[in-house]
Amino acid sequence: MERSGRQKIQLTSNQPYDESFDVNADDADSVHTPTPRQIVSRRTERQKQSTMASYTGSKLEDDTKRKKEPPGSRGTKENEDDDEEEEEEEDDDEDDDDDDDSDDTESDEEEGEPGSAPEGAYDPADYDHLPVTAEIKEVFQYITRYTPQTIDLDHKLKPFIPDFIPAVGDIDAFLKVPRPDGKPDNLGLLVLDEPCTKQSDPTVLSLWLSENSKQHNVTEMKVKSIENPERNLKAIDNWIESISELHRSKPPATVHYTRAMPDIDSLMQEWPSDFEELLGKVNLPTADIDCSLAEYVDIICGILDIPVYKNRIHSLHVLFTLYSEFKNSQHFKSVEGQKSDTPSASHIATAELDRLTLD
Amino acid sequence: MKPAVGGETSASSNEKKRKNKTKKTPKLEDYLNQRDYLGALTLLEFQRNGGVSVDHEDLWIVYCAFHLGDHKRSMEEYKAMTLKPDCPVDVWVYLGCALFFLGLYKEAEEAALKGSKCQIQNRLLFHLAHKFNDEKKLMGFHQNLEDVTEDQLSLASIHYMRSHYQEAIDIYKRILLQNRELLALNVYVALCYYKMDYYDVSQEVLAVYLQSIPDSTIALNLKACNHFRLYNGKAAETELKNLIDISSSSFQFAKELIQHNLVVFRGGEGALQVLPPLIDVIPEARLNLVIYYLRQDDIQEAYKLIKDLEPTTPQEYILKGVVNAALGQDIGSRDHLKIAQQFFQLVGGSASECDTIPGRQCMAACFFLLKQFEDVLIYLNSVKSYFYNDDTFNFDYAQAKAALGNYREAEEVFLLIQNEKIKGDYVYLSWLARCCRFNNVSLNLKDIMNQKARQAWELYLRMETSSDSFSILQLIANDCYKMGQFYYAAKAFDALERLDQNPEYWEGKRGACVGIFQLILAGRESRETLKEVLAMLKNSGNPQVEYIIRIMKKWAKDNRVLL
Repeated sequence: MERSGRQKIQLTSNQPYDESFDVNADDADSVHTPTPRQIVSRRTERQKQSTMASYTGSKLEDDTKRKKEPPGSRGTKENEDDDEEEEEEEDDDEDDDDDDDSDDTESDEEEGEPGSAPEGAYDPADYDHLPVTAEIKEVFQYITRYTPQTIDLDHKLKPFIPDFIPAVGDIDAFLKVPRPDGKPDNLGLLVLDEPCTKQSDPTVLSLWLSENSKQHNVTEMKVKSIENPERNLKAIDNWIESISELHRSKPPATVHYTRAMPDIDSLMQEWPSDFEELLGKVNLPTADIDCSLAEYVDIICGILDIPVYKNRIHSLHVLFTLYSEFKNSQHFKSVEGQKSDTPSASHIATAELDRLTLD
Repeated sequence: MKPAVGGETSASSNEKKRKNKTKKTPKLEDYLNQRDYLGALTLLEFQRNGGVSVDHEDLWIVYCAFHLGDHKRSMEEYKAMTLKPDCPVDVWVYLGCALFFLGLYKEAEEAALKGSKCQIQNRLLFHLAHKFNDEKKLMGFHQNLEDVTEDQLSLASIHYMRSHYQEAIDIYKRILLQNRELLALNVYVALCYYKMDYYDVSQEVLAVYLQSIPDSTIALNLKACNHFRLYNGKAAETELKNLIDISSSSFQFAKELIQHNLVVFRGGEGALQVLPPLIDVIPEARLNLVIYYLRQDDIQEAYKLIKDLEPTTPQEYILKGVVNAALGQDIGSRDHLKIAQQFFQLVGGSASECDTIPGRQCMAACFFLLKQFEDVLIYLNSVKSYFYNDDTFNFDYAQAKAALGNYREAEEVFLLIQNEKIKGDYVYLSWLARCCRFNNVSLNLKDIMNQKARQAWELYLRMETSSDSFSILQLIANDCYKMGQFYYAAKAFDALERLDQNPEYWEGKRGACVGIFQLILAGRESRETLKEVLAMLKNSGNPQVEYIIRIMKKWAKDNRVLL
């Protein structure tokens, strides 16, 4: 009798995932608190088997037609029709069910099918053969007196986390403004409607334009600045490169001297050694000496062997050309300290622009 | 002159060569042909300042700004033009286009309607109807589309945005058949294939375009994305780096796109710095930020970001499903779980996604939430080769197997899991304990059975005392009992009884102790164990103890077992 009682339970339990079906919604987060006894519903085949293999098999069949498959595969098909209701009823109806079910004790289908219940479940019959006293036999009954419960375990879905999603941008929708002159630009057709990767630098280009056109009207432009210069070495290098390019390409200033002037190279020749020696002791006259600018020019040009005619400008030009030669000469670079050269007068306006501010 | 060092240098030196050769002022047309819009703009502005007059100078300037992608500037300039009395009526439509790209759809519509009827206006209104989700208007403007290339391409782009990629491809291919010269269409086709997950096909079609225009930003970015899908983030990053290297520093186009994708390719590195400002600029940025939070297990933040998103793409549905599933289980909300299950079902059941890996994962998740584990397994099995060693996958997979009674395989899979957080999860522990219990018994070897039972017991011993460990004890006690592994059943019931005087536990312990006795008699348990049995029985105050002990002792005496 006791056994049959258990069995009923199993019956109900036969549909372990009944609730699962429409449930999803409601039962999805199964809040099974495993309180003993209460949760018999899930009595699985195991248990049945453990108690009485034979009964279980038959019941399975009766109960659920759906469950034709070997119990091993454990039909998970829930009764899709009856949802939670059934489930809830289960507990109440248990007794009734039991009665019905308990009657049908058919042949054990299950025996042949090992999967149905975990193999090796406890079976008191295995020990019937033990030669023991009646007393001990009686004690043995305690074993089946306790029905182990099937404890429902929660499931937890760990939802998969998708990969990061790269962006490919939108496809051309052909919402674009046409050329003002009405000519086709074929953008989005022959080529994608995107700017090319090599865009002119507006500042550099402006400088070029003003240089080419001799219009120096770019003063309203902003001095270009670069953020995070330490991380933008490429930008700085490019800037320096393009600006020096610009400077190099400017036409060299040519001056036509009205009178013969000595060759710069000859002016760059070494001074006699005794004069060099003297220079070690005596300084050349500085601009502080008490004389007019014109006289000072005459003095300096005299020292440097530059002839002075009527027009001192020409002599001065030779003087500065000589200075520039020395300054740019590789040989003297190491000797001379770096001196900043003054921007030429005509480019004062643009001089600011070819500077790069490093923020 | 030095050899070109970088992109910009070579560009500017080309420029100079051109100038030096011609010795003339550069022409606007040259810049436009090269799509050097910054150059064109500079030239136009220079000419304006220098008093050189060009026809429609303002329109040219905005044209350049527009194609440079500077929609804010073009919007402002067009707006200024519309204020002038002699403003051409088309300018309103152009203004609408600029507003459209700025995402200002309402304003765009207003502006467009002030313009004259033309193809561009119709296309703009067509796209706006799509943005407004106004099917009726959409159909109306669709009717007005003409059989000209631009209109057809615009229609294709709508198909693309509505995830009807095959329809888009059909249009592109049809036009390409008529005119092979239209190389850009290859990129559009490649974009469609990318979206359809045919990354290698996408790559092939894309190559046609890159062959003639090797430095295209859009194409190179797409190539990087294909590499990401086909290979990995590293390969993709290399492609993108190439693009960055050849771009001049004044190049701003698609800058956000590139920043965004660098985060993606680097597995989320820098996500918190880069992505938040892009949320309303690049649609994927929000999704990626959600993914980032999910990976950090910050479900609340993920939910905050996505709760107001109205999903339209499969990716959005999936993410909403994932976030709702995670949150629902976290806070025990059935509403969230229901939403999650529905979204998963929607995606997994859709024609476009049902055969993709994420689609299969969705179906598995859907059935998991429905606790239909047989179906879960069908779907998980179909993709499991992609997820070997994936802890999340294995956790779900093992649970499904265990739920179906396949404890042996379930245990194997559970034991593959490395993630410490999962391994400390009660769900993991309890299922693993159950698997241990039922496994390997078919071998019917006593020591293996015991070994498994011992493993479960040790699992319990390692746990901190908590309600979880109490539950595990119950699990071990009952599951062991069922399997006739009475030794560990007795130990577990003994521990339970000490924690809670429930008569239930006494009954269990009593049965288990007698069970051990029976095993000893049957020669399946060592006789020494009887000592432990007696000790455990004595722990209980129940009067039945004396009776049982007496019988056991009597047997021991008869059989000369030392106690």
